[in-house]
Amino acid sequence: MANILSQKDFASRVFYAALAAVVVFIIGCGKRPSQSPSQNVLQHRLQDKVKTLDPADIGDVFSDAVGSEFFELLYGYHYLKRPYEIVPVLAQDMPAISEDGLTYTIKIKKGVLFADDRCFKNGKGRELDAGDFVFAWKRLADIKTLSKNWWIFEDRIVGLDEFREYTKTCKKPQDVNYSCPVEGLYAADDQTLVIKLKRPWPQILFLLTYTPTAPIAKEAVDCYGKDIASHPVGTGAFMLKIWNRGSYIEAVRNPTYRGELYPSEGEPGDREAGLLVDAGKPMPFVDRIIWRIIPEDQPRWLMFERGDIDIIGIPKDNFGQAIASGRELTPKMKERNIKLITILEADTFYIGFNMEHPILGKNKPLRLAISCAFDRKKWIELFYNGRGEIAYGFIPPCMPGYDPNIKQYSKTEYNPEKARRLLAEAEQINGGPLPEFKLTMQGTDTTYHQMGQFLKMALDEIGLKVETEYLDFPTYLEKLRTKELQIYQCGWIADYPDAESFLQTFYSKRAPWPNDICYSNPEYDAVFEQAALMPDCPQRTELYRKAERIVVEDAPGAFLYHRMFYGMYHDWVCNLKINAYRPDGFGYGFSKYYRINVAKRDEYWKKYR
Amino acid sequence: MTENTRELKPPKGVSFWQDGLHRLFRRPIAIVCLIVILLYFFLAAFIYLAEFFHWQIGPAIWSQATGPSYQQPCMQNILGTDIFGQSVLRKMLYGAKISITVAFSASLISIAIGLPLGAVAGYFRGIVDEIVVWIYSTLSSVPYILLILAFAVVLHDKTIAGIKLAGITSVYLAIGLTSWVDLCRLIRGEVIKHKEREYIIAAKSYGCSNSRIIFKHLLPNVFHIVIIIFSLQFVSFIHAEIILSFLGLGEANRPSWGAMINDARIELARGVWWQMVAATVAVFFISLALNIFGDALRDSLDPKLRVQ
Repeated sequence: MANILSQKDFASRVFYAALAAVVVFIIGCGKRPSQSPSQNVLQHRLQDKVKTLDPADIGDVFSDAVGSEFFELLYGYHYLKRPYEIVPVLAQDMPAISEDGLTYTIKIKKGVLFADDRCFKNGKGRELDAGDFVFAWKRLADIKTLSKNWWIFEDRIVGLDEFREYTKTCKKPQDVNYSCPVEGLYAADDQTLVIKLKRPWPQILFLLTYTPTAPIAKEAVDCYGKDIASHPVGTGAFMLKIWNRGSYIEAVRNPTYRGELYPSEGEPGDREAGLLVDAGKPMPFVDRIIWRIIPEDQPRWLMFERGDIDIIGIPKDNFGQAIASGRELTPKMKERNIKLITILEADTFYIGFNMEHPILGKNKPLRLAISCAFDRKKWIELFYNGRGEIAYGFIPPCMPGYDPNIKQYSKTEYNPEKARRLLAEAEQINGGPLPEFKLTMQGTDTTYHQMGQFLKMALDEIGLKVETEYLDFPTYLEKLRTKELQIYQCGWIADYPDAESFLQTFYSKRAPWPNDICYSNPEYDAVFEQAALMPDCPQRTELYRKAERIVVEDAPGAFLYHRMFYGMYHDWVCNLKINAYRPDGFGYGFSKYYRINVAKRDEYWKKYR
Repeated sequence: MTENTRELKPPKGVSFWQDGLHRLFRRPIAIVCLIVILLYFFLAAFIYLAEFFHWQIGPAIWSQATGPSYQQPCMQNILGTDIFGQSVLRKMLYGAKISITVAFSASLISIAIGLPLGAVAGYFRGIVDEIVVWIYSTLSSVPYILLILAFAVVLHDKTIAGIKLAGITSVYLAIGLTSWVDLCRLIRGEVIKHKEREYIIAAKSYGCSNSRIIFKHLLPNVFHIVIIIFSLQFVSFIHAEIILSFLGLGEANRPSWGAMINDARIELARGVWWQMVAATVAVFFISLALNIFGDALRDSLDPKLRVQ
């Protein structure tokens, strides 16, 4: 009897234990970033996954947007002033430049601390010093890091290319000795960074505002090794708390952040727009940031309407719900106090041709035929509700250096008849019928499928066979890097307000990244190299235009369009000022400027959820 | 003996198949469903012919624009147009070809694997049986749709023996290679039952070879199971094709119902409902017809149900 009882007892215990496990499992499965009312949380959205949070490997917008919240740079752009003005961030001041323009001496701010992390002694972040920049940049040069951003410093700093050659001789990553001196890159003392250039490089300041040049703590690299991509240890206003790949990322306020002050001056109209209400106050203003990764337009739109996302770009199929008569918000949006933001973006989207492909690279009529096959006006109408401009070259109209006469040199036109003639010419050059090519799209959602279908139909119409392939963004980037693609959808968003950001994507020594089309033309290279040495002046602008015309003539890509950003944000987001270079506003170091009016959001949630 | 059982008794001199068909044709709803199914099959065959002979008619020229982008249903375009101004009606009709092709091809693959494996396992038993049971038990332990997805992802854009698995080829291969388990299990059970029957023992005593017994005697007597399973699985194969196309793993460059539903999903936000309605109505009728007809076929051919 006792035995039977104990068996029953055991069975009931097992049952309750299993029940408890199921309950815990269900609760665990349902764990999501929670925002109960009155929480000071900024809610961002991302259309795609973040690939890496290691500055050495950041090259796409999503990784850059999120990574920029954790890492700070020597310089940045004034948040409010236009035209864009470079201001010191981790540097004390603007650099002292020698008379020959070759030596830059930069003083680092005192008292800047790395965020607390277990990689440091006792888990307490130590003070940033000039050596952290030297280490980070040597790491970019280290062949073992496999950084895609080596192009930034390649052939620029005295001795750094030799350091790269030295790393090639090391068998293992651990064998690389980072204390090896580099003549042109060293810390004169803890607060002084010295850079010696091989030749003048006026654009260096722009690159020092670019996330891959962020300082890295050696302790973090030593501690996390290859896993450093998931452990961003920076000096920024926020620290990574959760990175649930594919669904959400959460950051929290960095308690040891030095509390940089909100700018006290802006451009005319900023005060009236309420952008100077927080002037002089220490940042950040929010306690947490959540990035929800939502690739599909509709869920993203519905979450914005519910108030679960603060800022959004208007999806093409919801344009009619958001905008009335092409310009204004609909009454429904106005009733909800939603604000509209529009700006012509500093970007160019095009169909790239792999110039190392044995047929595509050598057959200019084929490339021109493809370019003539696309009805760009219809493309902008169908996929962007008419929001955008046809691209005749690669420098966007909103950038300094834009050539207003580029249309007369451009090969951009829609002429299927001409395309067929060019295709016949291309077949003659090829010595027979052309093979089927692969057209790769950089996304997998419905809109990318529709875009792919549009391009394929256009090419079918002129008689060129293509097979469409849809890749998720990280896979697409990887295949770009390994030169596996043939014809592909691509684009470039300016990293800094200088057309050089676009020019370097066609410079032969930058292949395969950022020159992912592997374009190579000695004449272009010579013009680029000449312009790269010059400060901003009319002669340099003329060289930029000359370079653009060379590329346009060679047609290594079929330039399609420049985007016009149409976005919206809820009125509880304060201090939002749109930036043509980062219009999405879902990170990029802007989050520390935003303030959330929690009471307004709570009211909205009560009314509309 | 009651009046009812007298009715169910097979007429004298009528074979198993004649009796089954006789019972089937006494169900008017099943006949209507059969007509609907045949219409879909004829439509698919017609599109194949039209494409082969380059007839410039109807669904064969679905890619031509017939109106402006997102035109509402009207006299010119009865079911409206899509984003590229293509007729939704033509795309819907073309979708029948893709679905029927996938379901039919997958069924053939499924039978080609499940039938011999089940027969061999049931007839020989022992180690052969254990291996077959182990394989299908492993496959059936993985959720069906996940398994198809995994196969579709692996086979997508692969080249096997010089043949490129693009578009629907990878879809019906994925479905066919993963869906033979039910058929295999039933055939195995039926063969185990039949191999003890007198006619098999008699065949063995006459010295018939194993292959002759399996293919000449056993399979014809269990083949009604294949027909029942074929009709019941056909509809699930159509659904699987729609799911794969919806998820972007199906046919990328030609219209299919799954891709139409996927497009329509985001278009609903701008009030474009006609593509969703067209695709779902097309799926609804073939699914309903196949389900009702499959049940009727099972009721007519399954000896157990006939007795009841």
